[in-house]
Amino acid sequence: MHNMPSIYGMNFLEKSMLGIIPETVIIIFAFFVLFLAFFEKLAKRNNSYYLSLIGIVFSILYVLMLAGRNISGFYGSFVFNGFDAFLFIAILFSGLFTVLMSKDYIENSGMPAPEYYSLILFGLSAMMFLVSSNNLIMVFLSLEFMSICAYILTGYIKDNTRSTEAALKYFVLGAFASAFLLFGSVFIYASTGRLNLYGIHSFLQNVSYLGVAGSGGSIGIKVYISAGLILFLIGLAFKMSLFPFHSWTPDAYDGAPTPVTNFMATGIKLAAFAIFLRIYSLIYDFNVMNFNDILWLLAVFSMTFGNIAALLSTNIKRLLAYSSIAQAGYILTGIIGGGFYGYSGTLFYLLSYIFMTAGAFSVVIIFENSNLISLDIKKYSGIGYKYPFIAASMSFFLLSFAGIPITSGFMGKFYVFSSAVKSGYNWLVIIALLNSAFAAFYYIKIIVKMYMPDKEPAAASSNSSVQGNIPEIAGGAIDEGIMITIIICLILTLFMGIFPQIFINFANNSAGFLWRI
Amino acid sequence: MDFFIKHLLSVLIFFPAASIFLLLPINKKNQGVLRNLSTFLSLVELIFSFYLFVYFKQDTYKFQFVEKSSWIPSFGASYFLGIDGVSLFLILLTTLLTFISLLSSYRYIKEHVKEFVILMLLLETFMIGTFASLDVLLFYLFWEFMLIPMYFIIGMWGTGKRVYSAVKFVLYTLSGSLIMLFGLIYIFIMHYNQTGNFTFNILRLYNTNIPSGLQLILFIALFLGFAIKIPLFPFHTWLPDAHTEAPTAGSVILAGVLLKFGVYGFFRFAIPLLPEAAFTLAPFVIILGVIGILYGAFVSIVQKDLKRLVAFSSVSHMGFIMLGLFAMSVISINGAVLQLLNHGIATGALFLFVGMLYERMHTRQIKDFGGIAKKAPVFTALFMISVLASVGLPGLNGFIGEFLILIGSFHSYPVLTVIATSGIIFAAVYLLWMFQRVMFQGVTNPAAENFEDMNLREIITVLPLIILMFLIGFYPMPFLERIDPTVLHFVSMLNHHNIVYNVIKLKTGLSNA
Repeated sequence: MHNMPSIYGMNFLEKSMLGIIPETVIIIFAFFVLFLAFFEKLAKRNNSYYLSLIGIVFSILYVLMLAGRNISGFYGSFVFNGFDAFLFIAILFSGLFTVLMSKDYIENSGMPAPEYYSLILFGLSAMMFLVSSNNLIMVFLSLEFMSICAYILTGYIKDNTRSTEAALKYFVLGAFASAFLLFGSVFIYASTGRLNLYGIHSFLQNVSYLGVAGSGGSIGIKVYISAGLILFLIGLAFKMSLFPFHSWTPDAYDGAPTPVTNFMATGIKLAAFAIFLRIYSLIYDFNVMNFNDILWLLAVFSMTFGNIAALLSTNIKRLLAYSSIAQAGYILTGIIGGGFYGYSGTLFYLLSYIFMTAGAFSVVIIFENSNLISLDIKKYSGIGYKYPFIAASMSFFLLSFAGIPITSGFMGKFYVFSSAVKSGYNWLVIIALLNSAFAAFYYIKIIVKMYMPDKEPAAASSNSSVQGNIPEIAGGAIDEGIMITIIICLILTLFMGIFPQIFINFANNSAGFLWRI
Repeated sequence: MDFFIKHLLSVLIFFPAASIFLLLPINKKNQGVLRNLSTFLSLVELIFSFYLFVYFKQDTYKFQFVEKSSWIPSFGASYFLGIDGVSLFLILLTTLLTFISLLSSYRYIKEHVKEFVILMLLLETFMIGTFASLDVLLFYLFWEFMLIPMYFIIGMWGTGKRVYSAVKFVLYTLSGSLIMLFGLIYIFIMHYNQTGNFTFNILRLYNTNIPSGLQLILFIALFLGFAIKIPLFPFHTWLPDAHTEAPTAGSVILAGVLLKFGVYGFFRFAIPLLPEAAFTLAPFVIILGVIGILYGAFVSIVQKDLKRLVAFSSVSHMGFIMLGLFAMSVISINGAVLQLLNHGIATGALFLFVGMLYERMHTRQIKDFGGIAKKAPVFTALFMISVLASVGLPGLNGFIGEFLILIGSFHSYPVLTVIATSGIIFAAVYLLWMFQRVMFQGVTNPAAENFEDMNLREIITVLPLIILMFLIGFYPMPFLERIDPTVLHFVSMLNHHNIVYNVIKLKTGLSNA
């Protein structure tokens, strides 16, 4: 430690602070929003909504300003480089969409607004801290920070038993997972004596070059570090909702307010995958154990289980929850494929995943807001004729989930699958492709409901009966925030599907930093 | 004009998609405007596609109207278009049949006209794109998205179990396509491992060295994708459902164009990419084709539903085409390509007539018809011509194609060819018997008493197809002389591979001894 200040020069605190400016901005705005709650006049209207939007936009601007830099701050606990810049932008977009789609939902459910938005902002900052943390303790702290925000948000509808139940389930299981993660960190620390990820990396490098780990000379290190890495993986797999650790996902997604579901499905998943990618590329790759085989199993089970369960669910939020488990399996394929190509594919897929998920949840929220339709898929019958634009967008997002070309979902899948083929994981790709074909069935099931309703015998020839079932949206007005979200998601999903090169460049650039230690 | 000819393929691909923007602002209630405008736009597209025919140089096998620009450099994918003699006629068939099916739906499609015409034009974009792309990723993009408009057309305007049929169609085809995608990705990665370059350029991928054992596995992967689309015998089960429940326009496009993609895929991708596997597995594919010929014919004989009958006859006809393609002689492949057109023309026409019968009588059961010939002479005459073309009567188009296929295949597969020939006889049985029951005999259904003859729009709809039947039947040279150089090159490329393959086998055999 004694030589640290000399590395950072005289003003290392300033430099450290520079690296966390985007997070700091978000936190400052979160406190602003929270202060609004003190003043009844300001708390009403939508001040907190606009204030949080401004905060997020400012944060995005700061990320863009910092984008070219490579900063390591607070004695190496945090890093900020191209990898983080890419993921910060993605996470902030996820937060932006979440805030945009919350306005009417919060008003309708009568929840206090400022606290809600400040929790979202705190959660966002926690995700960004998690992505850029470079130290086992920082990983744990930011993960917990993020999770606590998510627990509270999940149970935010106080009177709703489902919401409370979801929060409790999520909390109990999440606490377990955090314990695993912490336990794993302890093991890793015990065997390597280092908390800094780069430190652990160089330790393992030395050990593996000396051949100690493999020779059996110090079998202790190998056992401890394997145990530590496995426990650590369990902790993260919980947040990524991979198969055996997924059981909270459907309940929490279903019970939580829908914007929060979107927040969990995009933001938390993104942050968890990002930190896993960083740790995986730094530590797991040393082949202490064959982690790729473990991941292989996790990926295959996640996809298969997620798809089968989604097929059987009749509630659209549960269906999307299960489908997100399956999607996690596909994303993991890229990490298994590994290397520059695979990691860049993973990042590309994650980015495209945000837009399609946010789009799909916005459509769900539109119908939920106006109390027209319950979450039951059957109630979506005939929407296609009544709301052509919304239904067409929903179909497009679902096709993107299914991986049909000209959507970003296809390009993402193509990218991660070809990286896996490149590394020789042929069976994984074949299973994943069969899964995609299988998954198409339940995505198409929703499209069938929207566009091809069962004609009632009374009015078989006209669609008047279909239109009769669905009342107009109250006042005919859809919240413009949601419409903006849908339009942005639609454009980006299409654009990433047809002209992905610019996004591939971002992802490539970002993935390149994983090796720049 | 020069610019137009140079970018003709792009124009053809994106004109229908762009014309959607013209249709979008029109009010849903203006059905007449929507119908007329969309038909007019598809006519313009058809006229554009004639330029392809006119400016096509017939003395070369090289790709023409080539356009190339970078698209996704990271994957080595490019916007690479070009056509040869085979894709030329398939594109012409696509534009013609899209125009015809839009024209044929004036009476059939009553609801959601706007959605229907938009989907038809979107489908046209993707169909032409599939035939024109020489980049594998671009091809796959067009190939798979094509399912979606077709799925909506069957599901939204179909009859009976339309949703079931539509979903079955999508899932069946999608599963095949995804397995095929694995094969394509594998070849792509293999090419990368050998050369260090990512490329999806099909002409470069042809040069990938793939060991023969691996070729077999990859061929099976591609085979599943293409065979389901054709459909070859054991993979045909989606076809009767989809055809039967689809609206007339959907059936015409499905039979006329979509089935051709499978054969085209074999011609462009599977066989040239994996020639050794193609040689090894050719007998099996031909056996499946011949089973398809007989099975399709037998099942057609006993069908009670008109559309199902025509659908199963497609299975039989596609069997002939596969026989011709995999016999791999110049004559048989020429015949197979010509038969692709013939099948599109004849079966398309049959579906149009069945559609007209359904519009008038609201039934498709053969037993409900009878005695129509007296009421509607024009209808009977034109329907007769289409039936005979499908049977393969000399002087009409079906005969030329089947004759070339049979002559060309006889040399390599005499027994199978003879068995296949019996398929023509059975075709006469099921088609003529059907025609007799529907058009002649006594009137059993009172609705047939007021059977209207064809109106002018309907005559215009089928007239181009009837003319083509006679044209190809009497004078197929304009078609064959454009197809021939491509096929000649294709066969010589394969023979070159075959010789090298045999030499290697010979050498390894010697070294073992």
